[in-house]
Formats: sequence, structure tokens, C-alpha cells
Amino acid sequence: MPEVYAHDAPGPHLIRGGALQQDTARRFTPEPEVPAEGQLPDDQPGWIVPLKTWKSSRAALRRHRHPVAILLEPDADLRELADDDGKLDPQGIAFIAIDFPVYTDGRGYSLAQLLRKRYGWKGELRAVGDVMIDTIHYQARVGFDSFLVKPGHDPHKALNAFKTFTVHYQKSYPAP
Amino acid sequence: MYVYDPVDQQLVEERVAQFRDQTRRFLDGQLSEDEFRTLRLQNGLYIQRHAPMLRIAIPYGMLASRQLRTLAHIARKWDRGYGHFSTRQNMQFNWPRLEDVPDILAELATVQMHSIQTSGNCIRNTTTDHFAGVAPDELVNPLVWCEIIRQWSTLHPEFAFLPRKFKIAVSGAVQDRAAVGVHDIGLQAVERDGEVGFRVWVGGGLGRTPITGKLIKPFVAWADLLTYLQAVLRVYNLHGRRDNKFKARIKILVKELTPEVFAEQVEEQWQLTRGGPDTLTQAFVDEIAGRFTWPQYDPAAAQQAAQAETEQAALAAADKRYARWLRTNVHAHRQPGYAAVTLSLKPTGSPPGDITADQMDAVAALADEYGFGEMRVSHEQNLILPDVRRARLPELWRKLEALNLATPNIGLLTNIIACPGGDFCALANAVSIPVAEAIQRRFDDLDYLFEIGELDLNISGCINSCGHHHVGHIGILGVDKAGEEWYQVTLGGRQSGAAHPLPDLESLNGGGAAIGRIIGPSFARDQVPDVVERLIRTYLALRDSEEERFIDVVDRVGIDPFKRDVYADPAVARPAQPQEAVHA
Repeated sequence: MPEVYAHDAPGPHLIRGGALQQDTARRFTPEPEVPAEGQLPDDQPGWIVPLKTWKSSRAALRRHRHPVAILLEPDADLRELADDDGKLDPQGIAFIAIDFPVYTDGRGYSLAQLLRKRYGWKGELRAVGDVMIDTIHYQARVGFDSFLVKPGHDPHKALNAFKTFTVHYQKSYPAP
Repeated sequence: MYVYDPVDQQLVEERVAQFRDQTRRFLDGQLSEDEFRTLRLQNGLYIQRHAPMLRIAIPYGMLASRQLRTLAHIARKWDRGYGHFSTRQNMQFNWPRLEDVPDILAELATVQMHSIQTSGNCIRNTTTDHFAGVAPDELVNPLVWCEIIRQWSTLHPEFAFLPRKFKIAVSGAVQDRAAVGVHDIGLQAVERDGEVGFRVWVGGGLGRTPITGKLIKPFVAWADLLTYLQAVLRVYNLHGRRDNKFKARIKILVKELTPEVFAEQVEEQWQLTRGGPDTLTQAFVDEIAGRFTWPQYDPAAAQQAAQAETEQAALAAADKRYARWLRTNVHAHRQPGYAAVTLSLKPTGSPPGDITADQMDAVAALADEYGFGEMRVSHEQNLILPDVRRARLPELWRKLEALNLATPNIGLLTNIIACPGGDFCALANAVSIPVAEAIQRRFDDLDYLFEIGELDLNISGCINSCGHHHVGHIGILGVDKAGEEWYQVTLGGRQSGAAHPLPDLESLNGGGAAIGRIIGPSFARDQVPDVVERLIRTYLALRDSEEERFIDVVDRVGIDPFKRDVYADPAVARPAQPQEAVHA
């Protein structure tokens, strides 16, 4: 009988710092009817806020004791992430997450490159959503350094997938 | 021929291992159908009408004899004893079993082959002139540049999941045989002040919305080639449409933004990548060029060819078939005493581009005996022996005759480009191969065929246009009307401006390519040969001399006289279907 990884298997499936750990992040979803401004999560650890919340309330969020993470959708305009001077100030940002609603939507790869190369983001960059054993090798090369592996994909296999390819052609993108 | 270094070999072997694992996980139920689909497509594996179809990459159409022998072996062991050359210089097998594909890929890796990115929404096999490296009108040899693009685009981490497929073509000659005007990116290699660089056309393509490419950069220096491509791809990856498959190609983005705005966005991205680590150096280009085994031509070949001339002229005078073959299937070569020879895979009655395993073995032997063990695959779905000594043409011709590979029809009406069509392809609306055969049978008189002269006739079984019907001088497209097969006819398409070498920059039209125009309501399958014959009769009546080709007459008089004659002809005047709105 082949080993089948159960879709609801318990255990950590966040790859971070080259190891598996429990995902403790919580998504903050503002009420859609109400303007994003003023709708903030409480000052507790682990919040991921959408870009519009960061954009409208970055000053308030930067006063939090616990920095928040920012979630980018594939169509995100990175200029909204930057401050008025066009630069990305890392203060108050725990990490940046880019969502892959389906793994075939490749915009997140270019967003990651722009964050690393144009905006100089040195902090944690997390791939979330439809993140598969088969995609994290590419994601690591464009600049992601943490990966929330989707349900149904064995996170241990995903950890090994960084070694899928030991040689690469493109010089602008580092080996994972 | 490019020879892998250890890194190239390691990469294809790791890809085989990865795909073996992906296939096993799919068969074990660890990968869903949806999850597996794109993964297998990125390795050239389709699920087709009868069985999976596996498309194998033949990078820029260059093939070594030992590779062709391995393809023959694969055809016998895992398929049904034949293969099919596609219009993108690749080979397709129509009958493999999914479970066997990892083993097939492992076998391919032993001869430095793979099927990486032969399908899927990623950068596909880069194509080029099928006479690259040997054409007398070549300004820049595109082979090294194609290999550099092949490596850069292989498993590219940022561009593996584009909005849609992406095709790059490179031409280095005066006459564009790579059809740079109908690719997502067309590169025309040129020299400026002694420096090699590229004209860049973007957004050409066939399919549902046929359009010729727009020139967005008149000159990119060779060192900047990859960083510029990276910038183009990034703009497309970020902004190409993903909400509608039919509007997802780069041509739609270029059209919606306008070529000027698109070019500006590319420039902006390029400022980030330009001068970066992917900038090419002379040392790197030399290293890649050094991995090719370049032909060692014999300086005595010219003299031997001169000595054989009288005897060969006598043979040509005595044997019309040989004379015809010389005229259509033997091509000029940059090296005195040598010729390039096309092996026609278009004999009447055989599906265009098909080749049996026995023919593959025989051609591989001929490539060793009459050349340097290498071949080219043309986008017209034929094979080419690129370096044949002219003195040996008669003996080669006799051997090709015996193999049914000497049909003298290259450049003529029966050298039909056709996709596999409804007989094999799950996407097709109509069959292509039987239509091609019916036309070939109608024009099987060689005297008549030669009288008609140069003519490209292309057939696609559906609007995906794998048979390149839009750029056929005569194009035939299969359409579905209420479950029935109908065929729409276009005139005046061309893959490049053969009559106007090196298109002038002012026109901005990619390579002089043109999209054919629909002549009117579509026809039933059995009417198609009659329609083609009617078109030919009109052409013969209208041409001002034998020098004026079919396409020249269409250019000169337009499609109306043809249209009038076709629809007035009682043989084709049966009730036809209303015109399709496929160009919408």
C-alpha cells in the first residue's frame, strides 16, 4: 500500500528557517462595508493584515507593541506598501506574505523579486495559499524564505524539495 | 551540435527524478488531477484523444544522429513505431502510457534530450531558422544565442507560471525563416557598428487573435539580451490577463497598453535588471560556443563538386525527378562545395511530419554518412541534412528515393503544414490529415505542381492554429458547425516578408509577416480540393509571368478575384455555411 499523506494530518506545516514549525499567524479581515481606516486588530502577536489595512493605518500599526505581517494578493500594487517617499520602511512589519490563490498564478514570483530587488526588503517573505511540494523550489529562488505548505502536501517532503535541483542556469536568482 | 556539460546533464536528470516522483504521487492519489495537470504539461505531457501525447523538445530544431536513433527506439518500445514532427521543431509521440513516461524521459536524458517546457504556460522551446549556421544569407549565427536563451529559460524560477504560453523565435539571416513576426518575442540578430545585437518584436502570434509583432526595441546589445528578456517577461507576468484564457497572451497586453506604453514599462523594469548578474560576458558566450561541435568542412569539397558537375548535369537532364529534387530540396550553403538537403516528410498519403522508426534509423545513418551526424527539424515539419557535399548529391538522392524521403515538393503546394487534427488531438474541431491528403492527391501531377510554383498551404484543425493556417499563402481552418466539420479558407498570409528582405524598421511590422484574410463562407470537407484547385486556376490566369508567385498575385490584386471565382464555380457553389466570426 503506498503511503498517502492524509489531507487533514496534524502537525506543523510552516517551513521557516529551514525547519518545520506550527503556524500561529491569524488573518485580520476588516469589515468590507466599513472603510479600512480605523479598523485595526488588537495589539496581540500573530496578526496578518491585508495591504489596504496597512496602507490606511500604517502609523497606528507601527505604534503596536507587536508588529503585524502584511498579506499581499497577486494583484497588489507595491507602491501602496511603501511610504510616501517611495521607500519601504521595515519598521513595524513582522513579515510580508504573498498569497498564491492557485499555484498557476505566477504573479507572486515577480512581486517577490520586486520586493527584494527594488524595495530592498530584507525581512521574512512568506509564500501562503496554494503552496506545493512542487513550487517551493522556485519560490525559494525568487526570494521567499518561509512557506506555508498547503493541506494534502507532506511538509517533510516539501522540506526536501529545496534539493530537487542542485544546479541552475539563471544567475540573478540564488540557489535555495 | 551543442554538447551538454555536467551541469546541463545534472539538470535534466534531476528533472527526470522530479517528474518520476510527481507521476508516482499522482498515481498514488497524493496529487489531484488539477494539481498534476500543469506539472505534467510543463513536461510536455497532454492527455489526448487516444492516450497521453508526449512532446519532446528539439531545441532550436538541432538534432544529432544518436538522438534520432534514441527517438526511434522510444517509438518502437513505448509507442507505435512512429513519431510526428510538430510545427515548433519538436517531436510528438501519440501513444505512450502515463506510467512509462518517466522511463522515456530517463532514456531521453541519456542522449541529452528532455521534454522540459514543451507545453504549459511557460517559456517554450526557442525556435530558429532551419538553415541556421549554414545559410549563405546569414548575418549572425543564431545557434549560440538560442542555446543561451534555452538555458536561461529552462526552469526559470520567476516565469514558470505565466498567464499563457510564451514562444521566442530567433532569426539571424537576411530572409526570415524563423517567422519572428508571429511569436510572443521575435528576435532578429543584426550587426551595428560591428557589434551583434537584436531587434525585438513583441506580441505577434496566431491562434484566435492573429496579429503580427510590434517592434519595441530596434537594438539590444548582445550583452543585455537576457536582462532585456527578463524585463519583458516580468511586465507580462505581472500584468498579462489571467481572467480569460483567450485574452491571456502577451499580444493582448501589448495591444491594450499600446506598444509604446508596453515598451516604456519594459524600459522601467529593465533599469532594475540591466547590468545585473544575467548580463552576458564574452567569456560566457565563448564558453557556450565552445561546447558546440562545429562542422569541419573539407576545403577540397568545392573542387570535387566542380569535377562532378558535368556528370550531375547529365543526370539532371536524363532524370526529371532528380532535376526536380535538385531544384526544390537542395539549398544553397555558405561553404563552397556543400549544400543543405531537405528530406520531405510530405509524400502523398502520409500524415505531414510523420516519420517511422525505420526511417529515423535510416536518416540517422545518412546524417553520419553525408554530414557531421547532425540534422535540423524545420517548422515546415521536414528534416534537413545541413552539410552534404555537392559531389555526393546523386548517391544521397537515390538512397532518399528508396526511403520515400525525396518527394520534390519543398516550397510547393503539397509541402503542406498540418497539425495532427481531429484524428489525434482532443482540441481539434475537424480533421487535418485527411484534408491534406486529399489536396496532395489532387495535385499529384508534378509538372502541374512545378508550374504552380512556390506556395505555402497550411491546415489547422482548430483555431489554436498549430498548423499555422493564418500565415499560409492559402490557409485552411477546420471549424465546427452544429457538430459538423467545415473548413474556412484564407488567402494572403505569409510567415515573413520573403519578397522584402530585412523588413525596414519604419514599417514596424514583425519580419514582414502577414495574416491571411478569410475569403467567405466555409466549405464541406470534400469541397476543399475543388476550392484549392479553383484558387490555383484563378492565380494561373492572373499571373503576369511564371516569376510572379501566388502570394505576389494576391498582394497585387487582392482576394476579390479569387473569391468571385470560387463562389461562382458550380463545383463549389453548394450551400455553404455562414461566415465564422473567429477573428473577433
